[in-house]
Amino acid sequence: MYWKYAVRRILNGILSYIIIIFILSALFNTVMEETARTQIEETVRGELMGIQQARQMTAEEIQNYYRERLDFFGKQYMLDRPVFERILFRTWNTLTFRFGRSTSIRSAQGERDVFTIVWEVVPRTVSLFTVAMAINIMIGLWLGIRKARKPGKTLDKSTSIATMIVFGMPAWWLGMMLIMLFSYTLRLFPSGGMVSTPPPTGIHYFLDMLYHMALPLMTLVLIGFWGSAFLTRNIVLSILQEDFIMSARARGLPERKVMYGHTLRTAAPPVVTMALLSLLATVAGSIIFEGIFSWPGLGNLYWVAVSQNDIPVLMGNLSLTVGLYISGLVILDLIYGFLDPRIKVGGRR
Amino acid sequence: MTFKDMRRGLGEFWSEFRKVKSGIVGLVLFAFFLILVIFEPLLVPFPEASSRWNDMAYWQDNPSGVPPAWMNAFTDQKRAISVRDENAHITENEITRGRMYEVVYSYDYQYDVAPRDMIFHLVGDGTAQVMLTMTSPDGINVILMRSTTVRLSEGINVRLSLDNDTRDNAFRFGTTHEDRAVSGRLTQQLIRPTDVYFSKAQFGIMNRPEALKGTYTFTAQVFFSSDQSRLDESFYVVAGRVSGFLGTDIRKRDIWSGIVAGTKWALLIGMLTALMAVGIGVIYGVMGAYLGGWKDALMQRIFEIFLSIPILPILIVLSAVFRPSIWILILLMSMFFWTGPVKTVRSIGLQIKEETFIEASKALGASSWRLIFKHMIPLLIPYSFASMALYIPQAIVFEASVSLLGLGDRTIVTWGQILQDAWRSGAVLNSQWWWVVPPGMFVAIMGMTFAFIGFAMDKILHPKLRTR
Repeated sequence: MYWKYAVRRILNGILSYIIIIFILSALFNTVMEETARTQIEETVRGELMGIQQARQMTAEEIQNYYRERLDFFGKQYMLDRPVFERILFRTWNTLTFRFGRSTSIRSAQGERDVFTIVWEVVPRTVSLFTVAMAINIMIGLWLGIRKARKPGKTLDKSTSIATMIVFGMPAWWLGMMLIMLFSYTLRLFPSGGMVSTPPPTGIHYFLDMLYHMALPLMTLVLIGFWGSAFLTRNIVLSILQEDFIMSARARGLPERKVMYGHTLRTAAPPVVTMALLSLLATVAGSIIFEGIFSWPGLGNLYWVAVSQNDIPVLMGNLSLTVGLYISGLVILDLIYGFLDPRIKVGGRR
Repeated sequence: MTFKDMRRGLGEFWSEFRKVKSGIVGLVLFAFFLILVIFEPLLVPFPEASSRWNDMAYWQDNPSGVPPAWMNAFTDQKRAISVRDENAHITENEITRGRMYEVVYSYDYQYDVAPRDMIFHLVGDGTAQVMLTMTSPDGINVILMRSTTVRLSEGINVRLSLDNDTRDNAFRFGTTHEDRAVSGRLTQQLIRPTDVYFSKAQFGIMNRPEALKGTYTFTAQVFFSSDQSRLDESFYVVAGRVSGFLGTDIRKRDIWSGIVAGTKWALLIGMLTALMAVGIGVIYGVMGAYLGGWKDALMQRIFEIFLSIPILPILIVLSAVFRPSIWILILLMSMFFWTGPVKTVRSIGLQIKEETFIEASKALGASSWRLIFKHMIPLLIPYSFASMALYIPQAIVFEASVSLLGLGDRTIVTWGQILQDAWRSGAVLNSQWWWVVPPGMFVAIMGMTFAFIGFAMDKILHPKLRTR
């Protein structure tokens, strides 16, 4: 049954997420605690300043107060517990999205809660990458089918070579090239950002965002569609050699119908898998290219967090990226199961 | 599998590989990179670039942020090229007390735009009084430096820079020829000494200089008051307006030298990571297939967890927190890359496991260790090489990405770090393409090389298994 499969896959994904977060918490426990300690000290010092403005304190009072408050916060953050317990505590906090407070980065509203900071950039990354993926699939399908129709011919060969040329090209470098060409030489597109300042309102806001999205989108598409076309070609080509295609042709079905009715229907599951996988690969492999375009998404947040050495934001960003990545993999499997009738009707695996 | 078998296998493989044109192109490019690595000291003007990339003293004679020398072919105005000339003529004049040297340098200037700077180096020992004069092609004598005291000592060159040390004289020389109204508006800081020296001595020398082509002679009089002092050698360096094969960056480093120095690191990072990752992956996959049962199930679970890790974000955070050296980074990358070949290897392993020769050697009492490493893994070697080739570009790009964020190992020079410096210094904004295009291009070409090789191997090996 499909829903059984779906539930199992989702539970699997959640389990993986928990294990990964646990490992990360263990790995980064020391540095996270150091940051927590400095933050506590800062808070206590701030409190002391506040009290001293109201009344004078003796040196001894200050000492005592300082120690007391440090202990208090230390307990709150479980700093007095054994290591293993602390790691479990940290894992639980991460899993419930309590990432703590940032050291310097602030959200749009000026908050310092890490989850708010990271969560507000997620839609931007998701919108950029999904639009890119949609364009990639369309171009890739179109080109892949054309390639598969005449394998080994000029179009097929030349595009295959192009695939290999972009194989090891960093997306962010292509981004730099496009910025140099389109922003500074031709002055066609803005060099970065998501909207102009001040941001326009209404429909203009949307158009302005599209205008800013043009270059990063172009980069992702230029790097991505060759690969999708190449894989589509391979999948379609292998299906075209199947018997049922031959019989369809022998029955005298028009080529269009053979192509779009029979071949593409069969090719759908692997093609969708490939497209989503390549999208996830971009997230896992070149997300920092957002930094080149100052596109204020998750990738850009890595740049900001690294340059400001904001460890809590870095960790929160990582946990959320891992979460999104795993959700992507789960969704991929769910779609695959939906498209593949053998899984949908619960055929034996 | 004996050595003879292996050689025959390789021979067969080669005869098939030869037929794939893209594979051959890949091999040629690979050879090109190997040549760059092996002959690095001969190919670059700054052979110590690799070890002294971040040592500003090593680069101080270069101009900063100038385009490549061959750009002259595309412009009407020819710009002076950086050169180093060691043919200075040193003569010692007899004097009663102390030592007196006369050094004569000649510079053939055939350009329209004067160099950025010209630096005279003195090597020797002792305290000296130096006077520097210049004779231009039209016979005008100019005093560049009036008896300046310099201290020479072993291992430290004394640098006399026209741009830094002769501003007052350049200004004086300019004002004697320039219109008062023009020179009155200028100050020493607003002129470029080399622009003045290499121009016709006429009106406009300071605001619209006209290049005077020909041979310039520079003479340095070096006087030591002590007999123990000596001048060993002397040479000059022209810091041009165009420089080297790929220009220089804003910190005066020669980009071509940096790129060649980065080649060996790119190859090392790529190949070592791919080798370790594929090695782990293949052994893991075969072990899973061979062991079967709950062990296999457990290994599959671990594998799936590794599959759901986004590699680059993790690498970035690990690098940001632990600041690993390049070796640790390679190790980390292999620890995440090994998942690639596992699925295929496992399915191939499951097939091999059922082969009769495995059964036969099992019956002969072979240990599992022997079965896995002696019988199963050798059969997977061709596949491993194909997948290895496809991991190399990924490893290089990942290192470059980590470096781009400024988290790379600063003791070495990689293409990613050159790009990071370029990005930080606004090379993209200033259209300093010679600083941005080549490093990325090399990353892309290196990736392409291994993609060509890998896809060609894939074409031959995929997906049928070669059994003996």
